[in-house]
Amino acid sequence: MRFVSLAIRNAKETCRDPLALGFLIAFPLLFMLLFGAALGGNSSLSYTIGVVDQDKTEVSGQFINQVLPGVAIFKIAPFESADEATEALKNANIKAALVIPAGFGDEVTKNWQQQQSNIILELVYDESDLTVSSQIVSTINATIRDFARVNIPVTINTSHINVETEVSQIDFIAPGIIIFGLLIMVPTSARIMVRDKETGFMARLLATPTYPWEFIAGYSASMLIVAIFQIIIFILLGIAFGMTVVGNMALAFLIFFLTAVCSISIGMIVAALAKSENQAEPLCWIISMPLAVLSGVWFSQEIMPGYIQFLGNIFPYSHAVSAARMVIIRGAEFSAVSGSIVFLACWAVIAFSLGIILFRYKMRA
Amino acid sequence: MFALLGPNGSGKTTTINMLCCLLKPTRGTARVMGFDINREARSVKTVIGVSPQETTLSDHLSSLENLELIAKLRGVPPDKARKWSAALVEIMGLGERRKDQVRKFSGGMKRRLSIAMALIADPAIIFLDEPTLGLDPQARRALWEYIASFKGEKTILLTTHYMEEADFLSDNIAVMDSGKIAAMGSSLDLKTLSMDKHTIIINAWNMTLKALDDIRAKYPEVKVNGNSLSISGKMLDFKETTDFVHSTGAIIRSAYFKEPSLEDAYLKITGKELAD
Repeated sequence: MRFVSLAIRNAKETCRDPLALGFLIAFPLLFMLLFGAALGGNSSLSYTIGVVDQDKTEVSGQFINQVLPGVAIFKIAPFESADEATEALKNANIKAALVIPAGFGDEVTKNWQQQQSNIILELVYDESDLTVSSQIVSTINATIRDFARVNIPVTINTSHINVETEVSQIDFIAPGIIIFGLLIMVPTSARIMVRDKETGFMARLLATPTYPWEFIAGYSASMLIVAIFQIIIFILLGIAFGMTVVGNMALAFLIFFLTAVCSISIGMIVAALAKSENQAEPLCWIISMPLAVLSGVWFSQEIMPGYIQFLGNIFPYSHAVSAARMVIIRGAEFSAVSGSIVFLACWAVIAFSLGIILFRYKMRA
Repeated sequence: MFALLGPNGSGKTTTINMLCCLLKPTRGTARVMGFDINREARSVKTVIGVSPQETTLSDHLSSLENLELIAKLRGVPPDKARKWSAALVEIMGLGERRKDQVRKFSGGMKRRLSIAMALIADPAIIFLDEPTLGLDPQARRALWEYIASFKGEKTILLTTHYMEEADFLSDNIAVMDSGKIAAMGSSLDLKTLSMDKHTIIINAWNMTLKALDDIRAKYPEVKVNGNSLSISGKMLDFKETTDFVHSTGAIIRSAYFKEPSLEDAYLKITGKELAD
């Protein structure tokens, strides 16, 4: 088991190098601390929603007076007309205006009786704050589905959106920061391999009868050990700052773990291609920093143009961020995020294999 | 012990890297212990130990950990790797610092450890690429003693651009120039190549001007430095020369043939000086 010896060596080398370890843990930790301090604690999100009841039925009344006030992130402000609500929105007194049209009660009742129905809600929101709007839209969508007992869309399958959950800013941002921390593993994992290459230690290792896959596995395994600790630290820190993990912790961990494998494999590919640390370092940052933005680590991917979203979705991180948020915030179950998990796993396998191929090719260049 | 001697850029390291299967030859092949370096690279790697030109160690590991790592990668079982490493650390004089991280080691200690890493797991052939590069003369001399202690026990191929190193350590030397072997043989063989003339050094008193004129008349190449005479010429006979000097009235205190140096041989073979 040569790769185990290599992995132990690499882990020791990383853990005994204060600079490498500090960079690996401290850099994302700093972000977590900053965001945690700024957004953590009890400062949960709360949006004032203007509601206009044009239906004026018992069902609409129940929805407005009993269901909507129960949603933690909403404060309800009733309005007589849609114009009045829109005016309040323009004056920034409310974050969105929800109009319940006539016939709403009938349609909901039909659905309760398991008949064909067509529930329509009109929502006016402030386009200048799309992150907030998308959250309001999705929450209202979830709330009405819950109220009317409409089946959850196939894309999230049987997962139940827990509208009772109090979604705080840290809940939203923490999964992104954890993914950002795992993105940092791209330069870090490349660094140890390129350094060995540059100092000539790699030549010494290559002169032993070790297989290419054992090298890649040895370098990767050591980084995975670090990644596991990193994930645990970040989750604990997120919880300390008020992040609530609604879903299955093991599922969230699996998503983070696969993301770490992807980052490490990308790092290995860069390391195989780069000739020196000076080449590898900027290359890694050029890859990881734009990916952090494209993947919606800091803010929702929803607000980005379609082609940017498409670009981001080619890489594993946007899938990791959205899946992690679904599990942590929404309590999504495995079936709801299985697509993302399969995508991450495929990416990990392909990137890892590519790393081995490149390493094999380059090891005797 | 076999040395590849040549200046920087003469192809010594490239040769070693090809033999260690770290570099693919553009054409041709070689065999190491019967294994083809192109087709049986892994088999080659099972029979060799390498100490690369740079002092390549895992800086944050101890000397013991460095040795154990290489031993395990060479397929030695963990308990044996531990035992061999401990023994080798003592042999190389690093016993007292065996648990210190090697980044705290001096250049000489690092070199010794690097060589030990090539020796671990008892390889059939050991490649030492410029083993004393960058060391001060004292550390270099000490390291020579360590390497020389393996003479007769191991097959060692070393590269160097230090004449004295090749002379001190090697049984056979290949002089490399521009990627080719210009000459090959024992140190004495190579020196003999440059012996197209002999030099006799004579320390004498009472050397009068007449005596010097007589000596200069008989021998075409005579240099005088105080009481020292250096007489050079083709096929000089030691007895005849000293007898002639004595016959001029000089009182000879000592006389000896000057040994041809490897440097003379290198100069003659390649037509170039070998920079130290």
